[in-house]
Amino acid sequence: MSQSLTITLIVSSIFLMLLTTYVLKKGRIPEKYSLLWYVFSLIILLVGLFPDLFTWLSNKLGFEVMSNLVIAIIIGSLLLLTMALTIMIAGQKKKTTLLIQELSMLKEKVERESRK
Amino acid sequence: MAQKVLLIIPAYNEEENILNTYNTIKNYNKKQKTNYDVIVINDGSKDNTKKILEDNDIPHINLLHNLGIGGAVQTGYKYAYYNNYDIAVQYDGDGQHDVRYVKNIIEPIIKDKADLVIGSRFVENIDTFKSTFARRVGIKIISAFMKFSTGKKIYDTTSGFRACSKELIYDFSLSYPSEYPEPITTAEILKKKYRVWEIPVEMNERVGGVSSIRAWKNIYYMISVCLALLAIKIRRYKKCHRV
Repeated sequence: MSQSLTITLIVSSIFLMLLTTYVLKKGRIPEKYSLLWYVFSLIILLVGLFPDLFTWLSNKLGFEVMSNLVIAIIIGSLLLLTMALTIMIAGQKKKTTLLIQELSMLKEKVERESRK
Repeated sequence: MAQKVLLIIPAYNEEENILNTYNTIKNYNKKQKTNYDVIVINDGSKDNTKKILEDNDIPHINLLHNLGIGGAVQTGYKYAYYNNYDIAVQYDGDGQHDVRYVKNIIEPIIKDKADLVIGSRFVENIDTFKSTFARRVGIKIISAFMKFSTGKKIYDTTSGFRACSKELIYDFSLSYPSEYPEPITTAEILKKKYRVWEIPVEMNERVGGVSSIRAWKNIYYMISVCLALLAIKIRRYKKCHRV
């Protein structure tokens, strides 16, 4: 692997860690989810620090070049993350629907009572 | 003892029809000495539906935000559950459904022969509006998938004219799909081993407003429904008994 790719990966990893720490400090994401992002940046850092290990792995898995393995890992994790988000959105939608229904019915009841 | 019957009318931008629909039901109640209560669920309409409902003193619930057909109808079932109704009938606000047939579709429930009764356009050959050719083909395909996933043939899978028992009112108040509710709930109800009947009814062509199934969405609608029916086939269901 080229020297410059190593540097790019290490810099990206440090950037992602700093970004995660920043949004965590501002309280914009819960601690639970920040962990995921630290794991992501750690993986990128590992690839940067131990390219030989990943070159060996990519050969074993049949990738032509190691960078393809890196991209495949990233895309795979993003797909999983999207799946998790889809599940979360569906859950949120159920909750908002419930709130809108109950609140609308309550409002109607209160208005009806107050008209009497 | 007479059973309490509620007509649930979901309404989204139905200013042209809603008053007519309500008056037809009111007049029918007077003439036939029936006692059908009505609740209109105004699903965040952007036209004058809300004003018409208020000015004419039509019983209604204004949803604070548009929820789509499933969420709106479910609100009606929750209302039916909270107010202790014995039978709930889904009824369109656009003049498509005929109040004279309510008697027919609630009868099997009153006699405790069925839990869900679908007002069907396709059971018998009555001369009536049966929707366009493309839609009929779509309904046939959905019907075939329904048979595959539940083992039972339902002819009019997308009919929005349905009546259900107290037990199902409770079931629907707990969970109701937000998209394509009619075929999905019918399949789920069948998997839960409830008794589903189809009864022939006549329907009118829509007088105004836009059907919730728009033309350009038809194919997408069909594919999604078939996929949902396949998902229902591999899921397990249990009756949820009232506590």
